Amino acid sequence: MLRIDRRLLQNVDWALLAIAFGLVVMSTVTLASLHVGRAGGSVVVRQVLWFAVGLTVMVLLASLDYRRLVRAAPALYLLGLAGLAAVFVLGRTVSGARRWIVLGPMSIQPSELFKICFVLIVVWAITSRWAQPVGKLAIALILPIVAVPAVLIIKQPDLGTALLLVPVLTILLVGAGLRLKVLGGLALAALSAMPLAWLALKDYQRERILVFLDPFRDPLGSAYNVIQAKIAIGSGQLLGKGVAGATQSRLAFLPERHTDFIFAVFAEMWGFVGCLILLLCYVLLLLRGFDIAATAREPVGRLVALGATALFAAQVLINVGMVTGLLPVVGIPLPLMSYGGSSMVASCMTLGLLLSVRMRQFQ
Amino acid sequence: MVIATLVTVAFLVLIGQLWYLQVLEGGRFLDASDKNRIRVRPIAAPRGILFDRHGTPLVDNRPAFTLSLIPRELPRDVETRDAVLGRVASLLHIPFQELVDAVTRVQPDSLLPVRVRRGLTLADVAKVEEWKLELPGVIAEVEPQRVYPTSRFAAHLLGYVREANDEQLKQGRYRRGDMVGQSGLERLLDEHLRGQDGGERIEVDAMGRPVRRVQQTEPHAGAQVITTVDRGIQEAAERAMEGHAGAVVVMDPRSGDVLAMVSTPAFEIDRFTGTIERDAWLRVVQDPNFPLLNRTIQSQYAPGSVFKILVAAAGLQEGTLTPLDRTHCTGEFHLGASTFKDWKEGGHGTVDLHQAIVQSCNVFFYEAGLRIGGAAIVRYASAFGFGQPTAIDLPGEKNGLLPRPQLGRGRQGRAYPAGETVNMSIGQGTVLVTPMQVARFMAAIANGGVLWRPRLVQRVERPDHGVVWSDEGRVNGHVELSPVVWAFLRQSLWSVVNDGGTGAAARIPGLDIAGKTGTAQMIAKSKAEKGQDHAWFAAFAPAKAPEVVVVVIAERGGKGGQVAAPIARKILNAIFFEKIAAVEIAG
Repeated sequence: MLRIDRRLLQNVDWALLAIAFGLVVMSTVTLASLHVGRAGGSVVVRQVLWFAVGLTVMVLLASLDYRRLVRAAPALYLLGLAGLAAVFVLGRTVSGARRWIVLGPMSIQPSELFKICFVLIVVWAITSRWAQPVGKLAIALILPIVAVPAVLIIKQPDLGTALLLVPVLTILLVGAGLRLKVLGGLALAALSAMPLAWLALKDYQRERILVFLDPFRDPLGSAYNVIQAKIAIGSGQLLGKGVAGATQSRLAFLPERHTDFIFAVFAEMWGFVGCLILLLCYVLLLLRGFDIAATAREPVGRLVALGATALFAAQVLINVGMVTGLLPVVGIPLPLMSYGGSSMVASCMTLGLLLSVRMRQFQ
Repeated sequence: MVIATLVTVAFLVLIGQLWYLQVLEGGRFLDASDKNRIRVRPIAAPRGILFDRHGTPLVDNRPAFTLSLIPRELPRDVETRDAVLGRVASLLHIPFQELVDAVTRVQPDSLLPVRVRRGLTLADVAKVEEWKLELPGVIAEVEPQRVYPTSRFAAHLLGYVREANDEQLKQGRYRRGDMVGQSGLERLLDEHLRGQDGGERIEVDAMGRPVRRVQQTEPHAGAQVITTVDRGIQEAAERAMEGHAGAVVVMDPRSGDVLAMVSTPAFEIDRFTGTIERDAWLRVVQDPNFPLLNRTIQSQYAPGSVFKILVAAAGLQEGTLTPLDRTHCTGEFHLGASTFKDWKEGGHGTVDLHQAIVQSCNVFFYEAGLRIGGAAIVRYASAFGFGQPTAIDLPGEKNGLLPRPQLGRGRQGRAYPAGETVNMSIGQGTVLVTPMQVARFMAAIANGGVLWRPRLVQRVERPDHGVVWSDEGRVNGHVELSPVVWAFLRQSLWSVVNDGGTGAAARIPGLDIAGKTGTAQMIAKSKAEKGQDHAWFAAFAPAKAPEVVVVVIAERGGKGGQVAAPIARKILNAIFFEKIAAVEIAG
């Protein structure tokens, strides 16, 4: 058994845990009201079980010194790449995408778990001696590290997760002291590569972007999700329709209602006030994360906390942005709210990293 | 900490968007979510029932299946949709184009079912149900539909019910697919018969499966119509007219109640209800025998010898004719250079007025008519309601025709030429009448001069509102004749049937029938038409206290006494002896 220092326990961030726990409770209540049928137990039970698994992993990660994790990052990174590659061999196809590996009664989504490896490897790269100071050279070395998994994830295809890596990487680079001029150059390069990216997109992905620009171009086809989500959210009005009155969600007009679009369900049931509370939870959680980064004594801890928080922030913002129609539809779950084992475990791991940094801030 | 600020700003943007969606636009989205989940399914109100005078239904409703398409639930893609419609077309033998037309004339996201074809058979419904999964958006609805005792039962009286046509839709009173009475009483009383459609608001899930009924408005059945018709008599009259083109009117001379109204050939009323194929429709419309025409009020015939009753009445009342007047009939009558023939070769010999009526002697009436004068005959004809509508409730009634005086003749400048008067005296020439006018006239002879407006509907009742419409009967004329004249006419008409007259074929032992035959000559346009005269028989019974008037005309039937009188006999026999629950015999 791991021996845990009493000093470490004194620094457990209970507020962070409390907020996370509150979010999971809201997720469970929302899922319970949906009655989504699924073989092998109800969605609620599975979600709670996954949270239990996530908690265990979180405690495990928190008890490990994050510096050891970063040192082990290359190994973890290769393991993650192997997982991503395995999808192409063992993967199960769900609605046209090979994102899952089936293991007995459960299926694992390697790209979700890879996000953690990604944060660690980037921190490992930009804090390693050869990358100092962080400039063009460091970026040139980091890019292939990022490109390989990005291509693998895009090929699944899971554009959302791939896109998620961009803001996380950017924030980590900025946090590591990358000059804004260089960052601007990178952004310009990325913008000029956009037309090429358009050609590389699959038809349904292009359609999603066009639909984002004009939702009523095909109201019963690809824009259906966006329109139904907007109807669900909007019809919640100020105070929501309550659990029983949430017809959009309960009558299944809203697709992906227990996974990526769970925010719309919540918004329909609890209205603007409920949404404010939910978003406030996320904001508090993120501010806590940024605080952990700010109070960390040394760069590795700061960057790990920053990366973990960035990962969390990007997911929340992109998911809510997409569900409310501000961003194109990309398949990104809402951390701690959406149903999904891999996502839940990954979110708990993110929290575990934050806890680990916080507990060791005075060392 | 720039990053934390940026993230917070991003959250504020999200909250701004939520404020916009939920608070500013929330009401609109709430409507949209209700539209998503609520489907409105109309429930057709059963059409009111028409009853005969004894409370026996003349029509009924039965549940019928209607093929409907729900545009919103059909496949979006035109090719896939056409594949579905094509399958429906081949399963149910409906022209493909009809289905496409039905769908394309409404909004593609409409949730209201578009009725395509009514009257599906059970086999058709089974096919639709069997293929249900392959036929999204195709349903078989249940709706009440008219059912008739027989295919052609009282077709003209009742009228057919069909979907509102384009012209009716333009008036804005009907919605597409509404069943509307298109003729007869169904049209006249459509407002009352239609009732009020109900509706169901059903909550459905995203797959369109009903989850629960949110609200239901019960349909209000249409009002009940109590007509004056006697179903037994109507059926008997229709049986009696089988094989003849023409018309029958049976009327109660005491009230003007129409007990039966038959026009043959009739159209198949049950095939006109619901959906009729274009070909079948054209066959009926273009039929040279005009089955859609209600001959009792819309066909005008020369009255023939039936008119002699009126001529006799005019002469007797005016004093220009007495029962003692005699004429020697040689079978021909000369007026200037013209020769008018009697129907009987060689003539009737010497006849008085009574015999002239009984034998229907033309020559006697040629002479009598000249003495009475055209003006007097037309005046009496007018008084008995000829040349004017009977004001019966059904639309499209014809007026008939009476001769008009011509200019430049006689002292007043207007008069009737002698030839005209001679023709008029035996009901030929420019005299045209409808069978309904003859029935009203005969009723007046039977009841002593009261001209009833023929009554078809006694009252319209709604279960919850009581009587909403009623017709107490109305007299629209009265003819004053001396009682002696009435008695003489009735006596003569009795003799026509019972004393060796032309109407002997109508005689029923044990029943005093009074009547008059008539043979309306057609102006022969070709040899083939020659001799194809219209046969009339107008009668009432019992002669002493008349309860029914029966008027029969058989087109191109030949002589009235040979063709029309036996038909009237069958009807009278049915009324008085076949226990068909007919008229109330005065006790």
